[in-house]
Amino acid sequence: MFKKRTLIGLVLILALVLVLALAACGGDDDDEDKTPTPEAAAEEEAAAEEEAVTEEAAAEEEAEAEEEVAAEEEAAEEEAEVAEGEAEEEVAAEEGLTFGVVLVGPKDDHGWSQAHYDAGLYVEENLPGSKMIALESMNSADRPETTLEQVAEDMVSQGAKVIITTSADFEVDTAVVAALYPDVTFIHISGDDVYWGIAPANVGNIMGQMEYGKMIAGCAAALKTETGSIGYVGPLIDPETTRLVNSVYLGARYCYETYREMDPAELKFTVTWIGFWFNIPGVTLDPTEVSNAMLDDGADVLISGIDTTEAIVVASQRAAEGEAVWAIPYDYKGACEEAQDICLGVPYFNWGPAYLGALQAIQDGTWKPAWDWNPPDWDDINNPETTAVGYIYGDGLTDENKTTLDEFIAALAAGAKGEEGGLNLFVGPLNFQDGSVFLEDGQVATPAEIWFMANNVEGAEDPETVNPPQLLEGVEGASE
Amino acid sequence: MTGLESTLRGIVRSAAPIVIAGQGELITERAGVINLSLDGTIMLSAMTAHVIARETGSLTQAVLAAMLVGMAVAFVVVFSSIALRLSQVAVGFILTILCADLAIFLGKPHFNQPGKEIPHAPIPVLKDIPLLGPVFFDHNILIYLSLLLVVAVLFYIYRTRPGLTLRSIGEQPEAAFVRGTPVQLLRYVYTLAGGALVGLAGATYSLSVKLGWKEDLSGEGWIALAIVIFGLWMPGRVALGAYLIAGLRSVAIDLQDNDVIDLPAQIVNMLPWFLMIITLMIATSGVLEKVVRFTPDRFKPAARRFLRAAPPRALGTPFEKH
Repeated sequence: MFKKRTLIGLVLILALVLVLALAACGGDDDDEDKTPTPEAAAEEEAAAEEEAVTEEAAAEEEAEAEEEVAAEEEAAEEEAEVAEGEAEEEVAAEEGLTFGVVLVGPKDDHGWSQAHYDAGLYVEENLPGSKMIALESMNSADRPETTLEQVAEDMVSQGAKVIITTSADFEVDTAVVAALYPDVTFIHISGDDVYWGIAPANVGNIMGQMEYGKMIAGCAAALKTETGSIGYVGPLIDPETTRLVNSVYLGARYCYETYREMDPAELKFTVTWIGFWFNIPGVTLDPTEVSNAMLDDGADVLISGIDTTEAIVVASQRAAEGEAVWAIPYDYKGACEEAQDICLGVPYFNWGPAYLGALQAIQDGTWKPAWDWNPPDWDDINNPETTAVGYIYGDGLTDENKTTLDEFIAALAAGAKGEEGGLNLFVGPLNFQDGSVFLEDGQVATPAEIWFMANNVEGAEDPETVNPPQLLEGVEGASE
Repeated sequence: MTGLESTLRGIVRSAAPIVIAGQGELITERAGVINLSLDGTIMLSAMTAHVIARETGSLTQAVLAAMLVGMAVAFVVVFSSIALRLSQVAVGFILTILCADLAIFLGKPHFNQPGKEIPHAPIPVLKDIPLLGPVFFDHNILIYLSLLLVVAVLFYIYRTRPGLTLRSIGEQPEAAFVRGTPVQLLRYVYTLAGGALVGLAGATYSLSVKLGWKEDLSGEGWIALAIVIFGLWMPGRVALGAYLIAGLRSVAIDLQDNDVIDLPAQIVNMLPWFLMIITLMIATSGVLEKVVRFTPDRFKPAARRFLRAAPPRALGTPFEKH
């Protein structure tokens, strides 16, 4: 009967859907990085071809368009493969250092992963002959079937002498895989296996002292809040996230008292943990709703501790509705661009110098395993060549606010250098939420005490015996 | 604005896309067609709206494009069912996966980019009514639309002649056909209309509720599908289900730091599903019939209408002309 006709009809409809969606795709490559790796170049070509297809598609039969898309995609894939193949040969021919970077999210996530990817590019620029092999989105949601061991094997077969694993999630796997490849050096970001001496000899740890960035964020929030209430959108609870919340709180409390001359006991500081680094429907709380709920409860500054931008998006939405609210994003230098006017600045990581230092040492044969917890460059916390963490001011700050923050940063710098009259916020008396003493009156926290947010870490020999991290007394929110 | 007002206002806002998608699916299912592709359609249309808004700067075009995407997917479902006699469930399921993957692939260049927003438009005078004002009259046009839609669908289905016809093609298409109703044509019309609303729900996410494109919408479509069942195919109850889920999500946030009730967020997230299973068990157990039997005669019709719990009888089955 009309079977054949209907079949053609179905194909046409599928093509229509595809073309509609493709038309929506459009080319938007403003934020693509400008350094062409073979992979990126192939991707760009593919994107350009897609654009061309989109334009042609309007004039052509839909069914044809579909075929063409398929063909072009295939061609693009082939080109990408060729490009990769060439890259491999190049590596074999050169003497330069090849290093792998395992990213937990996409390399252009405007957050944590992009900061690491950019550091890899920085190394390629500054260490002659070096080459990065990056693997994006290594997490159980995006790549449930991939193990770190497979990734390492693949990277080593491509010539990698160093593998940098950039998530707390990879801590256990990094140690296991490192033992399998004793000739390859592994750098695990944010971990502390080296501190405990339980890591294989070819593993090092690197982290930036984000505590200072977060203190500055807390200070900015305290300078700005009119309702005396600050909300923190937290990820999951672990020592790192707990110490960052506590750092924000200490910065906020200090500035509320010192510069605003208000009673710090009246400053309301609330943290809500969503349960992971980004929204996973059904598993985490929805950060959009958490942000809205915090503003509903009277907070007028939102500080983000998660990898995605919901806090600043919601604040900007509510500001557009006439509310006087502000936000401080996290992780990535350009995060304020989402909504400059209400942004009070962003604390960010600058991994480049630490990457470069480690890779240079590995290339020179002088590298030793270490637990590196790198400070900002106190002469200029935003110097891309030297600093490990920085803070970029947002347009939501007045000039007066900025002057005050400059003063605060100078005081922190003096404190960090041990100068007379310098400011150290991790000094007792400080109590935990459950009332137990973190630091006695006048007691200065050791790096390990800050790292683990626990009062029994000094002298402990085993991570299992250390108390779980706790929020400080005065912070509202769950500690576990 | 008090805390209660702003919390309720937040619930009305965050429930809006599920309300819209739920009403869209309800119309489709009332016509006897299951469009199972909601989860993928919402993602694809949300991505489309975000991208079109960024590229053209026109929110109207963005909303229309999203609705077109919803209609296109719905068309595949109804066409393959009526013309090709394929299983609606199978086609819908495939489209769910295809659309979701397509959205992620095509949306990649626009992932995590600042999005455009439907402008806030509080209604003068009305917005100053205590409680009701902030909760219902201090939103943007898409949120108002979600509220109006429930009333409109209720009125249309139960109070108009075409609404009666709509119900009849989902309940007894043969009888409707005998009376001269163009069953197949109307199934096309209502499936496309439903699909357009699902697309609108996607646009509501990316232009109003979540702003931007983040790939984390998966699951919302299944929720919308589920509340159509939970709401027993009645517009008011479907909307209620959407508000209930949004309300529970809001409660989950407050419970985290509650010393008395120590429930993890995941458990609270699961509560609606337990509720739904219980609802279905009650609905199919015959208990409701007994309740109707024991009500005084005077209230029997009302009770029967209120406790009606059956899906449209011809749901998911193709209609064959003899």
